[in-house]
Amino acid sequence: MIEVRSLAKSFDAKIDGKRARVIAVEDVSFVAHDGRITAMLGPNGAGKTTTLRIIGTLVRADRGQARVGDIDVQTDTRAVRAQLGVLSDARGLYTRLTARENIEYYAQLRNVPVQNCSQRLDMMAELLDMGELLQRRVEGFSNGERMKVALARALIHDPHHLILDEPTNGLDVVSTRALRRLLLHLRSTGKCIVISSHIMQEVDQLADEIVIVARGRTVAHGTAQSIRAEAGTESLEDAFVKLAYGAEPATAT
Amino acid sequence: MNTTSTVFRKELIDALRDRRTWLIVLVTSILAGPVALFLMSIFISSVEEDAAKREIYVANGSAAPTLINFLQRAGATVKDAPDDYAAQIKSGRLQNAVIVVPDKFEQRLAAGETIRLPVTFDETATRAQPATRATLAAVRGFARELGVQRLLARGVSPQLMAAVEIEELNVASSHARGAQLLFLIPWLALLGSVAGAISVAIDVTAGERERGSLEPLLMNPVAAGAIVLGKWAVVALCSASVVILTLIGFKTALQFIRSENLSALMQFGFSEFALFIVMLLPFAAMIASLNMLAATYGRSYKEAQTYATYLAMLVNFTPIVPLFISIRDAAWQLFVPAMAQQAVMMRALSGETITAVDILLPGGMAIAVTAVALLAQARLLRNERIIFSR
Repeated sequence: MIEVRSLAKSFDAKIDGKRARVIAVEDVSFVAHDGRITAMLGPNGAGKTTTLRIIGTLVRADRGQARVGDIDVQTDTRAVRAQLGVLSDARGLYTRLTARENIEYYAQLRNVPVQNCSQRLDMMAELLDMGELLQRRVEGFSNGERMKVALARALIHDPHHLILDEPTNGLDVVSTRALRRLLLHLRSTGKCIVISSHIMQEVDQLADEIVIVARGRTVAHGTAQSIRAEAGTESLEDAFVKLAYGAEPATAT
Repeated sequence: MNTTSTVFRKELIDALRDRRTWLIVLVTSILAGPVALFLMSIFISSVEEDAAKREIYVANGSAAPTLINFLQRAGATVKDAPDDYAAQIKSGRLQNAVIVVPDKFEQRLAAGETIRLPVTFDETATRAQPATRATLAAVRGFARELGVQRLLARGVSPQLMAAVEIEELNVASSHARGAQLLFLIPWLALLGSVAGAISVAIDVTAGERERGSLEPLLMNPVAAGAIVLGKWAVVALCSASVVILTLIGFKTALQFIRSENLSALMQFGFSEFALFIVMLLPFAAMIASLNMLAATYGRSYKEAQTYATYLAMLVNFTPIVPLFISIRDAAWQLFVPAMAQQAVMMRALSGETITAVDILLPGGMAIAVTAVALLAQARLLRNERIIFSR
């Protein structure tokens, strides 16, 4: 379970050459349960990535709390990282290494026994349809191929909690489907999965629960159905537009 | 330790597969020694040739047959100076001094006047120095001979003039004179440490940022310090390899260049070779860590290259500063990295004794700087600005 309560984070940034304080996250709260896919939905710049980075321990929140499997992300960062599999916004690979070497590097850093590693790799290679990719050097891989390698790398230690930041960015239909197949499989094994996205259909198809984030705040939290009901609209898209851009922000959970 | 060795193995494979880069570095480091020695041997033999030729240039020589006669008796070949001798000396085309004979030289000589005899030369022209010295000595000899003749003509013993006779005892041993040129050997080895470190250091730091692989790497449950240590070990290994190859290049080239001039000047036996390596290994370790630290501030390979270039310039210039401001072996030099290594290695080359302090002090400094740089680097990897800004 991933629990986020009243997170806030601001940065110093230069805007038109002047230093200014930019509020990235003001008040984000939600709970992501095991065995469910929770999607953070929000326009660009809503604070999704920052929230995920706070959960991923690489950014410290100014206020609020985030817990991964009952561990506070700010008190024991290493224990949290050990339980997390993160496909971040940055998913760079080492181009002079083969796909397999890229993945095995992380397995070694995480002390995954060699046998477990190769089993996991076989399983993911099949689900993600990347069999013959593994022996090739990453140089010249397509976006979809890179995503598959990065995803396999993030999941090689069989983490209980998964965080995927805009996983379908730049993917074609076939790769998106492979990703969806893997996520559904992982959900069936009881993993806690959090994804972020700004693509409505994807969220509608994949997510069990939706957290709508806008201007750094949680504005709605629930199933697609309950959110539509709350907004009083026919489609999720209308509900999203209304909640994210429209009326007064509603505080959820 | 486990993390460090994993990172080390991965970065080493990664670096070795970057074939084009390491081939260039390898070839330049192996060639540096032979090429430098070759140039030095040309330089030295041309200097000696100039001295052997003993050419003395005289402008307006026809006005001073007495002087010309003296010079020829002294065994010099007297040459007419070109009309634009001043410009030629300035530009370096004429590597010699020129005696400028004033008009009515002979008449004034006969009248017993004191004659002002200008000698034009360029003090900064290293190659012209032996010839210039020879010319000045010849003019002084001429003046002395005239003076002696005049005293004799008046019945005075010339010995009265020579209250003090100068005997020149040049304490610069032939080794030391050679070492003025030999600064090239330690200097190139110091530069080699930078050349070996630079591209790998950038690749493991700014390269990770540019590729977007730093953030996922730091998501692993490992200490940033362990990652830094593994990366540094690879960079230091590359740097040290290039240093050792450069030195091997020198040593090998020395066996082949059988120029007597050169080998007479040079004290580069196996004990000097070993000393150089002992001096340079901690230095390479330091350069590796500093290069990584500088390059970490770069968001891209290109930006990091700019920072690394500043560092490289510092390493290029620090060791040769004493050549310009003529400080010889001041104690504080041993505390300044690069300058210390250069000074101690130069002394070894010129055959001086090297004490334990000469080795331990610069080495200790280098190791201390390395430790500080690595700690700073580990701190940087916890900085949100470094992790995320791309």
